[in-house]
Amino acid sequence: MTLSRRTFVKVGGAALAMPLLGSRAFAQLEKIKIGFIYVGSINDNGYNYAHNQGRLYVEEQLGDKVETVYVENVPEGPDCERVLRELAQQGCNLIFATSFGFGDSVVKVAPQFPDIAFEHATGYMSGPNIGLYNARFYEGRAVCGTIAGHMSKTGKAGYIGSFPIPEVVMGINSFVLAARKVNPEFTIKPVYISTWNDPAKEADAARAMIDQGIDIVAQHTDGPAALQVAAERGIVGGFGQGADMSAFAPDTQLTAIIDHWGPHYLASAEAVLAGTWAPGNTWEGLKEDVVQMGPYGAKVPEDVRAAADEVKNGQIDGSFHIFTGPIKDNTGTERVAAGVTMTDAELLSMDWYVEGVEQPA
Amino acid sequence: MQFRLEKRREPSRLMSYITPFAAVLLTMVLGTVIFSLIGYDGLGAVREIFLTPLTNSYKWQDLGIKAAPLIIIGTGLSIAYRANVWNIGAEGQYVIGGLAGTGIALLTYGMTGWWILPLMVLAGILGGMAYAAIPAFLRTRLNVNEILTSLMLTYASVQLIYYLIRAPWKDPMGMGFPQTRLFSEAARLPTIIPGTIVHLGVPIAVIVGIVAWFIMTRSVFGYRMRVVGAAPHAARYGGFSENKTIWLAMLVSGGLAGLAGVLEVAGPFQRMVPGFPTNYGFTAIIVAFLGRLNPLGVIVAGVVLAITFVGGEVAQTTIGLPNAATGIFQAMMLFFLLAGDILIKYRLRRVSPQPSVGAA
Repeated sequence: MTLSRRTFVKVGGAALAMPLLGSRAFAQLEKIKIGFIYVGSINDNGYNYAHNQGRLYVEEQLGDKVETVYVENVPEGPDCERVLRELAQQGCNLIFATSFGFGDSVVKVAPQFPDIAFEHATGYMSGPNIGLYNARFYEGRAVCGTIAGHMSKTGKAGYIGSFPIPEVVMGINSFVLAARKVNPEFTIKPVYISTWNDPAKEADAARAMIDQGIDIVAQHTDGPAALQVAAERGIVGGFGQGADMSAFAPDTQLTAIIDHWGPHYLASAEAVLAGTWAPGNTWEGLKEDVVQMGPYGAKVPEDVRAAADEVKNGQIDGSFHIFTGPIKDNTGTERVAAGVTMTDAELLSMDWYVEGVEQPA
Repeated sequence: MQFRLEKRREPSRLMSYITPFAAVLLTMVLGTVIFSLIGYDGLGAVREIFLTPLTNSYKWQDLGIKAAPLIIIGTGLSIAYRANVWNIGAEGQYVIGGLAGTGIALLTYGMTGWWILPLMVLAGILGGMAYAAIPAFLRTRLNVNEILTSLMLTYASVQLIYYLIRAPWKDPMGMGFPQTRLFSEAARLPTIIPGTIVHLGVPIAVIVGIVAWFIMTRSVFGYRMRVVGAAPHAARYGGFSENKTIWLAMLVSGGLAGLAGVLEVAGPFQRMVPGFPTNYGFTAIIVAFLGRLNPLGVIVAGVVLAITFVGGEVAQTTIGLPNAATGIFQAMMLFFLLAGDILIKYRLRRVSPQPSVGAA
């Protein structure tokens, strides 16, 4: 027998499962069927696109041992419940619910299918068969913020957010903290548009903020609309979010935060195949390659690239953490003492803004 | 051989019953062709979208809860449209109904009692009515077109949700996510079939449709609505005030949209979230027309639209059809239905070519 990568995985998986035979609720499988539900379209070239790339990565790695299905544009509400049950009924062994607002539905449906492994991205409600996974997007935000601090002429950036949940709040804070290390006068104006994916609203918000004097735009929504507006209006630049969006604004994208879910999806799939899956709670970042940085835009000068690389590499080797004190909130109260680094639990419940963030309406 | 459209002496009843079915059939046929041409399994797509939800008993509960709000809103719209009152803002009235019910649920949070749910339902209906009263007032007093005002008020209602769930009604345990807390048990719609998700809203929808049919065909109110729509001059001559009809039409359609909203928030959602508006109010416009503005037809049409939603997801997972396909099928259905309407007033007649004079 020729030793291909595939058989290698097979043998490796079997070996991993050996000591655990008979001790788990989840049985070993010959073949796995994985379901993915996306809140937006896989063609959004951002967040959902990135999750779908993760799905394709698993298919590529596991070949004929895996079958994947996905449902896109699933609203965050009861419709999600129906889709989850549909996937469960079609024999999925592992289901990834890839948006925060799917949480309620996962918690309702998962107990009805105790043999199926559910994983919910960016959420906080776990269960006996509900695992959680997330990425340290804020690490990428710190790199973007460093570039923004160097390159902004007005010292003002706009930030298009979806909902003021901790994940988004900590992204804003990370961006500003990094920018203010370069330019202590740097400020940011967040706007929440109450949706993950609405190109028209994203573009409108970008236009309104550019009119108010920002020259850098960042977004925590799913598509490249804000970046396109930035290109059209000729401001200094913006950042890709979820995926490399340079195709949409080649001169304007300064860099991008790329979600690289593939390795996590593969690990979960292999664990289910081997019968070793247990609900986890992973939160990986630049170091684990789950968050990647896109190429620097042509506009970004050498010294800024070097500064950004330093922040990136510092987070990879652990020497730099953006949420290390002293940190003041935007009312001037000190929240984190000098030298103290915020814990993951503190970050995951962050509901206040750091100095330099204009309090959103 | 040539065909010519010829005006019928009176509208064909037969055609008005046949065209909705023909529209669905044509949609299936053209859908097969289109999706085959762009490289999907066209026949499979139509099978999965239109048949699987019906043949798979596991899907019936989904059809029921998806159809219920469409039927309730569609019934109200069918009554208003009969009277030529064009309430396009059912989505907004649905939202306000849901918000009114949410308000009661939050006020009574932690309490128990059988009266909570009926109070929520009442608040929902009144909320929807009050919101529909705005375009009715503007139309009757200032002659402002209700199509524009009711439609634009929808966007205002969505902003009201965002405002309420971001500040005064925000869930204290929600990690900052803009949503209300989960309603307490007494404010949740009970499921009526154990082991399923079928809630009380489903039978209510059917009852609403049947009662509305009865009222429209057997009461003075129904007569009034139909006459005003069909023959406005005769109606005025007969003493039916136009303004009063507009008010009645807006309040009935708004109240029913509000009812659908409160049932939806108390049933499947059990809390107010930013994703609450899911276009039921707009889809119900298709339902009303597909049902021929007849409440019994609306019940059937509501189920047909529910089938396309549920089936659309089945087709995504089984044959990888994109989500947009569902929208294409729904749009084709409405297109064929409206196009088919010409056959109600006109007939297609074969004519032999006229021999040209002097050719012989």
